[in-house]
Amino acid sequence: MIKTFLKHEFKAFWRSKNAGKSLAIRIVMALLILLLMLYVVAAGFFMGPILKKVFPHDSVIFSFCGFVLVFFVFDLFSRIQLQELPTLRVQPYLQLPIKRNAIVGYLTFTGLFSVFNLWPVLLFWPFIFRHLLPASGSLASFSFIVAIFGLSIFNNYLALYLKRKSNLNGWVFLLITAVMILLIMGDLEWHLYSIRNISYLFFGNVLKYPMLSIVPLVLAAAMFYINFLYLKQNLYLEELRARKEKFKSSTDFPILSYFGPVGDLVANEVKLILRNKRPRSALVMSLLFMFYGLIFYSNPGMKNSEGFKVFAGMFMTGIFMINYGQFMYSWQASHFDGLMVSKISFSDFLKAKYLMFSTAATTAFILTTPYVYFGWRVLVIHLMMYLWNMGVTTTIVLYFANRNARRIDLGKGASFNWEGVGASQWILSLVLMLPPFVIYIPLKMLGLTEVALTALGAIGLIGILTRSFWIKILEADFHKRKFSILEGFRNK
Amino acid sequence: MIQIKDLKKAYSGVIVVNIPELEIKKGESVGLVGNNGAGKTTLFRMILDLIRPDTGTVTSNGEPVAGGEKWKNYTAAYLDEGFLIDYLTPEEYFYFIGGLHQLSHAHVDDFLSQHADFFNGEILNRGKYIRDLSKGNQAKVGIVSCLLQQPELFMLDEPFANIDPTTQFRLKNLIKEQAAKGVTTFVSSHDLNHITDVCDRILLMEKGKIIKDLATNSSTLDELEHYFAIGQVGAPAAPELRIDPEENH
Repeated sequence: MIKTFLKHEFKAFWRSKNAGKSLAIRIVMALLILLLMLYVVAAGFFMGPILKKVFPHDSVIFSFCGFVLVFFVFDLFSRIQLQELPTLRVQPYLQLPIKRNAIVGYLTFTGLFSVFNLWPVLLFWPFIFRHLLPASGSLASFSFIVAIFGLSIFNNYLALYLKRKSNLNGWVFLLITAVMILLIMGDLEWHLYSIRNISYLFFGNVLKYPMLSIVPLVLAAAMFYINFLYLKQNLYLEELRARKEKFKSSTDFPILSYFGPVGDLVANEVKLILRNKRPRSALVMSLLFMFYGLIFYSNPGMKNSEGFKVFAGMFMTGIFMINYGQFMYSWQASHFDGLMVSKISFSDFLKAKYLMFSTAATTAFILTTPYVYFGWRVLVIHLMMYLWNMGVTTTIVLYFANRNARRIDLGKGASFNWEGVGASQWILSLVLMLPPFVIYIPLKMLGLTEVALTALGAIGLIGILTRSFWIKILEADFHKRKFSILEGFRNK
Repeated sequence: MIQIKDLKKAYSGVIVVNIPELEIKKGESVGLVGNNGAGKTTLFRMILDLIRPDTGTVTSNGEPVAGGEKWKNYTAAYLDEGFLIDYLTPEEYFYFIGGLHQLSHAHVDDFLSQHADFFNGEILNRGKYIRDLSKGNQAKVGIVSCLLQQPELFMLDEPFANIDPTTQFRLKNLIKEQAAKGVTTFVSSHDLNHITDVCDRILLMEKGKIIKDLATNSSTLDELEHYFAIGQVGAPAAPELRIDPEENH
């Protein structure tokens, strides 16, 4: 059965109309990952000397024991941010004579195919074979391998479980990230406990009693089972939700009616965001990133580097555009035909997007004003980047929106719709993050820091003032691509 | 009202629509029939500038629809659920559409109350988003939102498909009322009874071509039934016709 599922998914990937685009993204991803792997293998190979240098007083193996668990904490953290969830459109299979366990088992099992599970192998095996095997013998080495394997599987399923939870409810993601940050801070900042000491304790004992390596393996099996059960229960999620249906009331945004049809369009989009799970979690994520500045500004290493502040300012005031805007107009794919036939001119449609982005950026700018605590300069940088986002990022986002014909089905199968937040999303956001630095870095190198900042703000301001010009260009560009966009959106 | 010239559309070599010449006059009520894959929906989409024709033009009131915005002012169409904004409540959707045509909320409410019968108490104030409605009820929302726009050209694609028998009769009356008001109506359907009842003129499509253009009279229904009853006992065989197994959009 699993073979059939794999075959179907393979076909679904190649036969989807957007195969070209997602393939291109995948190739870029694969290259990046390959590069990263090369670094990791190198790090694994030279880990012995590196550890010796960092902890000159301890034996290499002792420091290694302390490092393993720290690695896995960060591994979990990055998995939660980046690991993609395996998907299978289960609906067509549910009523067929296929055991539910086979479907769920498949979904759970394919969760293992992730590069994240390769890294521990690449990083730790070279060390184990170079240093541990000669020093402690084959049994201890083997038990290390087993323990590390168990821990990565455990992390794998824990991350998937948490991600699935947070996909159903954006707040869970906030909570998990907060807990993870507290966990790391508790060790590194407040010294309440030491993950390294726990790691010493456990792996030191594994050296003595190899049987202990079974513990992570058992944990991994338990996590696998929890995932399995969770998925199995949630095959019915739709039905569960239908039972406690709430009365959906109509809402009005009187302020927006000031803007006429443009305001109506914004009102619709606000409802789109609030009433659908995926765009809603994009919004919640954006709010979460308002705390991003704390990481940058409180860090003494970055305090004096303005480049980081420019980055943080750009990111915080523009995160909504990046997060939500990069899937534009796919959010509206399911009713795009209707929009095209209605009495809406496309320039009004674009104006509505600008109005929404402006509102979001302004809100973000206001929310980030408390960072003035870290100096007035932070606020100035934020203001410049806010202007930049309003003037330039908006137009870039809409330019790319004209090139996006991938359908997103908001209404359908919310419980099993796990596409969305993954590594490929971050690559697209890179394109949006780079332009300000193309201007900022060269000027800064010349020592013209003030000029660099002013230039960013000025370009943003020019962008805002010339909006009607950009709207015309975007409109003409859209009419060239309209039919392929419509076709893509109709392709379910 | 609508003029079509040399309109052609092919998907990977298969011709889906091929209409050398077609005119629909103002105030006509036209029905479109044909088997799955005959090209009905594709034709509708090209009239609404949603699909780019390979060759040929569609003009509406003397202006080409392609790239134009003017026809949107007097055209209202409901082809499928893709025309509805499904995360809105029906009321919000009606207000939105009404707002585009400068109608106040009160005006929209007033209009909707005239169609309370048609809604049969299943649409308004039910506390549901459009996406939570059944397909038939979604169609009702789409149809009434068309009427709300007070169109001069009114297009429906298979409106009788998902709605209950009572609503089917009411819909027939609605379409007839519109036609009586001088609105040009263009409706496709698989239900030969309904379509001959509602329309003055029937176009029969086969493999993208309009093979028959009939003014409705007492023998039209027989003629159509005769055409569609291929391979049935008592009907003459028409060997050159192949029925596509699925609709080919």
